[in-house]
Amino acid sequence: MQTVRLALHAMATRFELVLHGEDAVYLRAAGEEALAEIKRLHRRLSVYDPTSEVSHINRNASETPVEINRNLFSLLQMASDLHHSTDGAFDITVGPLMRCWGFMGDSGSWPEEAQRKEALEKTGMDKVELDDSTCTIAFKRDGMAIDLGAIGKGYAIEEATTLLQECGITSALLHGGTSTMAAIGTPSPDEDGWPIGIADPLDQSHVLTSTTIRDEAFSVSAPHGKAFQKDNKIWGHVIDPRHGYPIQGPALSAVVHSSATVCDGISTALLAMNQTEVNKIAQKFNGMRILCAYSDNNVLNLVSNGFINKFKDSQ
Amino acid sequence: MTGKNVSRRAFLMGGAVLSGAGLVRAAKIKTRAWPGNRNDVNCGIIGYGPRGREITETLARVPGARVSAICDTYAPMLRRAQRDVPEATQHQDYREILDNADIQAVIIATPTHLHHDIVINALDAGKNIYCEAPMASSIDDAKSIARAARDAPNQIFQVGQIYRSNPQHLSVFQFMRSGAIGKPAVARGQWHAKESWRRASPNADRVRELNWRLDPEVSLGLIGESALLQMDVAYWVLGELPSSVHGFGQIMLWDDGREIPDTIQTIFEFPSGLHMIFDATLASSYEDAYEVYMGSNSTIVFRDRGKAWMFKEVDSLMLGWEVYARKDRFYKETGIALLANATQLDAQNLDPTEDDPNVETPLWYAMQEFMDNHAFGPYPPTANWERGLEATAIAVIANQAILERSHKKIDPLFYTLD
Repeated sequence: MQTVRLALHAMATRFELVLHGEDAVYLRAAGEEALAEIKRLHRRLSVYDPTSEVSHINRNASETPVEINRNLFSLLQMASDLHHSTDGAFDITVGPLMRCWGFMGDSGSWPEEAQRKEALEKTGMDKVELDDSTCTIAFKRDGMAIDLGAIGKGYAIEEATTLLQECGITSALLHGGTSTMAAIGTPSPDEDGWPIGIADPLDQSHVLTSTTIRDEAFSVSAPHGKAFQKDNKIWGHVIDPRHGYPIQGPALSAVVHSSATVCDGISTALLAMNQTEVNKIAQKFNGMRILCAYSDNNVLNLVSNGFINKFKDSQ
Repeated sequence: MTGKNVSRRAFLMGGAVLSGAGLVRAAKIKTRAWPGNRNDVNCGIIGYGPRGREITETLARVPGARVSAICDTYAPMLRRAQRDVPEATQHQDYREILDNADIQAVIIATPTHLHHDIVINALDAGKNIYCEAPMASSIDDAKSIARAARDAPNQIFQVGQIYRSNPQHLSVFQFMRSGAIGKPAVARGQWHAKESWRRASPNADRVRELNWRLDPEVSLGLIGESALLQMDVAYWVLGELPSSVHGFGQIMLWDDGREIPDTIQTIFEFPSGLHMIFDATLASSYEDAYEVYMGSNSTIVFRDRGKAWMFKEVDSLMLGWEVYARKDRFYKETGIALLANATQLDAQNLDPTEDDPNVETPLWYAMQEFMDNHAFGPYPPTANWERGLEATAIAVIANQAILERSHKKIDPLFYTLD
């Protein structure tokens, strides 16, 4: 048994791939093809590259329907489906709100009410028209933009994993920044799956729980990073696209599902949800495992569906 | 729905005109609607590997193009084609596409050594052709293609030497030709990546087909299959074709039974006396790909697929526009960004010192030129059969020099038809 490891820097993160098999030269060839696919998708989906298809959409879709490739159209349809499944908590048009709250390239600040309302007007997948017959996308408002950052990594991992499977790879793990990953088979024949530890959001040195994945994907999200203080309260960069305000959702969300794209999108959406909404999501997606950790005065309150190790499921 | 705008750049034969106020500023690109119905040109893609897919994705955004048929000899690629472009027909034999009278244009993105027969048959079938670079894997094949393309002047034959169509390159090309770098002294370039160049498939026959770049019988090696587009820019902007080449090649990392070197060094000699050093490797990605042209007044660097900067000698004259130009820091050096379309950006109240937000990829501009030619031509493309023949001859002789670790003269007759 041979092991090959490869890595790639793309989508502002480090992707790593480990493959097991009989022929190291072959494993590397397959792995390189998978990583090349991620690099290609990075170029297509990046909002920072003016030549990308997404930039092309953002420049033109407010003026005229923009014809796009069928597989990008399918991804946008999936984003639209996730938007509806999450009652609007997942939204790829949240960019204007993020800018309004100063979270684009800055640590954030409280906006004027008129600005917030204006940004909210430019936000919402319901203002995006996807026409299947012409394979076009159009924005109903000026100043709208899409950003696939919340599912792009999952999508790239899913596409790359498909390529690995087409190459006949039977044992591999591919992750992007350790937050989204997909597994093919198991690390060795005598194991149930690839073991994954989830760090405690209140103490990163401590493992909150662990699970295994096999021929499925995993994604974890947390509202780390940009935040500002107002009225003795910390306001983080997770904005609820439905209301246009930063929200106090879980300190961590984790999802296991057959699709890495769905995992990536849902784990992001869960950050904007209360416990009741989280339970609804678990019911909507068959076979999905969910863990959300809410912090209350430095005590974690856990909502779990299918994460069997330490916690009794909430259902 | 109205048609997308189409550039008249190709119609104007490379209209990146230098303005008096800023030598590197290209003239505003005029646009107009694609004449006739939208998606006028039915295109057939022959070869649906990574390059064929990239071209297909690009064509979706190019005015006037519609991908109507896709050919690949490998069933999983056709399944991918079905998913990507469900409205296109799928074929395992490219002759089915050539037999379809509704297809006006074919894009050939197969392995290099397969280009020849497909091009000849496609010209016979009356198709317009975009053929990926290198045009061929031997000088004989390249001459045969060139002859056939020359003898079919009413058909478009464009080679995938894409930087010839790129507004950024056209802009800097004219800047260099105006003598901005002074007396050219040294040219240098590199193409660096860390990858094995191997491809995988569970089908053993398919593995052999896929790994044609590692087959010494047909591959042009790193200089032909990876560095060719950069070399094409080099002799284009320098205005002369190389007369000889020294080559070296080694296997430095991927010692897996291959014979094709994973690391090469070349020195091209030009008739003016200028020498260009070019190296390529699959063992290290350091500094990616770039070309540098050093002259007595300044040095120009191309990198990031078409971006360019100028580094001035302290004793060179101040150029009026450089006061306003964007400066980028590179360790201890300061480069003046050479931006195409600055005048256009200025007219749109956009910052002319920033990168053009409407910029497209070099491949997009090449495809746009190909489509424009269907609307306004046929006229000889900027990368026509002559450019394809020159590039192939350089790649073939340089690859021989590399494999033999020798010095090879490049007979000027290689560059032309009898």
